Amino acid sequence: MSFKFLKPYFPWITLVMLTIIVGIANPGFFSPAGMIILIADIVPLLIMALGMTFAIYIGGIDLSVQQIANMITVITTVYLAQFGIWVVFIVIGVGALFGTLSGYVTTRFYVPSFVSTLAIGFVALSVAKWLSGQRALYMDATFRDNSFGWVFGKTWGIPHELIIAVVLVLLVWFLQTRMSFGRALKAVGSGELAAVASGLNVNRVKILAFCVSGIFAAIAGLMFSVKLSGGDAQLANGFLLPAIVAVLVGGTPLTGGVGGVINTVCGTLIVMVIRAAMVYLEVDATQQQMVFGIILIIAITLTIDRSKLRGIVK
Amino acid sequence: MFELKTIDKHFPGVHALQDVDFHIHRGEIVGLVGENGAGKSTLMKIIYGAYQPDGGTIEIDGKSVRFQNPRQAMDNGIGMVFQEQSLIPNLTVMENIFLGYENQFVKFGVINWQAMSTAAKEQLAKVKLDIDPNTITMELSFGQRQLVELAKVLTLEERIQGHLVILLDEPTSVLAEEEVNLLFQIVRDLTKRASFIFISHRIDEVLELSDRIYVIKDGKIVDVVQHDEAEVTAIQQKMVGRDIDKEYYREQKQKPYNSSEVLVTFDNVSLDGIYRNISFDLHAGEVLTLVGTEGSGREGILRTLYGMEQCTSGSVKIKGEKVTHFSATAGVSRSIGYIPRERKIEGIVNGMNVYENMTLSQLKNFRYLGVMNVPKEKSLATAWIERLGIKTPSVYKDCGDLSGGNQQKIVLAKWRSGGSEIILLDHPTRGLDIGAKEDVYEMIREMSDNGIGILLVADTLEEAIGLSHTIMVLKDGEFQKGFDCKPGSKPSLYDLVHHMI
Repeated sequence: MSFKFLKPYFPWITLVMLTIIVGIANPGFFSPAGMIILIADIVPLLIMALGMTFAIYIGGIDLSVQQIANMITVITTVYLAQFGIWVVFIVIGVGALFGTLSGYVTTRFYVPSFVSTLAIGFVALSVAKWLSGQRALYMDATFRDNSFGWVFGKTWGIPHELIIAVVLVLLVWFLQTRMSFGRALKAVGSGELAAVASGLNVNRVKILAFCVSGIFAAIAGLMFSVKLSGGDAQLANGFLLPAIVAVLVGGTPLTGGVGGVINTVCGTLIVMVIRAAMVYLEVDATQQQMVFGIILIIAITLTIDRSKLRGIVK
Repeated sequence: MFELKTIDKHFPGVHALQDVDFHIHRGEIVGLVGENGAGKSTLMKIIYGAYQPDGGTIEIDGKSVRFQNPRQAMDNGIGMVFQEQSLIPNLTVMENIFLGYENQFVKFGVINWQAMSTAAKEQLAKVKLDIDPNTITMELSFGQRQLVELAKVLTLEERIQGHLVILLDEPTSVLAEEEVNLLFQIVRDLTKRASFIFISHRIDEVLELSDRIYVIKDGKIVDVVQHDEAEVTAIQQKMVGRDIDKEYYREQKQKPYNSSEVLVTFDNVSLDGIYRNISFDLHAGEVLTLVGTEGSGREGILRTLYGMEQCTSGSVKIKGEKVTHFSATAGVSRSIGYIPRERKIEGIVNGMNVYENMTLSQLKNFRYLGVMNVPKEKSLATAWIERLGIKTPSVYKDCGDLSGGNQQKIVLAKWRSGGSEIILLDHPTRGLDIGAKEDVYEMIREMSDNGIGILLVADTLEEAIGLSHTIMVLKDGEFQKGFDCKPGSKPSLYDLVHHMI
């Protein structure tokens, strides 16, 4: 009983405990300035993870996000000069297109989302390589600063990146908890057959979930691209695993239906603290994915709803 | 010989079994009856080792035993014949019979199929089933599968020295009458070697077969009746704890329907492999019941009408309009409500609360620019909780935590509150206790009075006869005969069964 009661709070308890442990080992961790830098640094990952939450919440997964972000860094860099800030619309449009495509393949052709999104991800990667000619591209500093310089500014000491992140979190939180799309998502994630029998257009809900995931992956790619002032088909590599970890550690299980975007905020902060700890412990960058791989397995094991699997895992 | 003493079992929030004493003698057949949720299945699971009791002891021949899992129970001679069939459909009969015990046929790491086949034949002979052990289980009828299930448990005879205890959980629910008689015959013959515990909701069957009957209610044994003293109505009263309303199906409340308003017309409709050339009219306020055995096509007709299956030929009209596109979404917009058989999977969304479940089929009535109007949802839910007497602590309660009867009321409320004019009921009382069933019957009458057209697939024939205005008997996907069911001139069970088989 008490375990069931406590379970929703596990991610937050974990976050607080990890923060305390890291803070004790490294008191500098608590300095407000350092903390703000850390958080601002995690924004692109947070955005990607927020989108991914929708795919996982309906019981699917989106493995294409990293490649979509890669592709977007190239697209942004290529078209920035031509469109300026309006490149944002291209970015959102392309993200929506790829996400929708994943959703369409999943629902119409009955392809499990881990395969369909993997395949769509490779399409995106290929587009990135083709468009970039497999070279690293750089933005013209003036163009970048004119269009996106404000993103890295500060107001009253708060980085604008952080404000963007908060706005996006509030947006998806509203989408999830207040809008009928969020309600439909919950129904599909918790009881898909009952959702079908209630006359919900379940396929449309699923396609939209992947569409949201694609859009947020694209926005993450855009942020990353203007931050690093360039584009490259490998720029966002290393995002996929932490993004999945953030969603699952936050408490949205692979089986879907519970958790949500606020959980993902918590999960992303946990990832941030773990990263900070690894830096402090001088874990080599090449070994970080190893740590996240292990954490992912632990997180899945702790969160997955075994009653939904009916004892069958393949 | 086998004895449970003061067994206690708690689940979170429920005292599932309280001080249960239960014993069975050598060669005895003991019945166990009780309403759903009375604790029958918990008691069963403790006996065959799936659950461990919190208190009390289990003794075999005076020796105390503990079962950590079903395998240990089996090693002590306790076997379970499952209600939901535990056979794997795409394995052969013999593979199923010896599943997990293939070692006896293994030589040098290879299975001797010939030996297994011979041994399986011996097992099948015990249940008087003359089939090839190499048959794929899927190809057997439900009745045959039930017997294979028993044969599988009977392999205990060879493996275990002592006396056996075999649990039969609702073994007759999928059987035709002659198959039931055969099963009873087999069980009686086997009492030399085994004692049986027989669980069924068909009290008359339990009476017929059992030497003694335990009646369980709210986790307590409330009575033990000897075969000779047993009476159906007395046992029913003990199970429910009150008299059953004589007007069980509310027959006196049945009013004639409005024959001038046709809601649904089926004209020569077929769905390949499921049903053929079905025609009928469903009128406002009519309860039309489709009667037939499993596989007669009755559910297929419901699913076509709701839009979950496409018919392959014929014409369907709903409220005078010809239907060309079938989908569940379109079904809802045609004001059709569907109450599926699998309540916990298709009926309610486990994990969503009461108001979320009630408005799920009508989100568009509760949103403005995509934003949900939660106060409006809650007031709707509150009104229907009151109207249908739904027992829930609040509108925020997760529907998965409510009892079956209350879940069913929420599913009904979902469609009623959305203004459905045609309601399809697929086994609406399945798995409900008697009190909750009566509530459902009451609601069916009330809907009919309000001019809602009801297409029903009933759980039992008595239910079908009691509730209907009209009955259509189906067999192998074809229409057999229609019956008018006015109060006072209802067809008999025999009339229906005659056309079903």
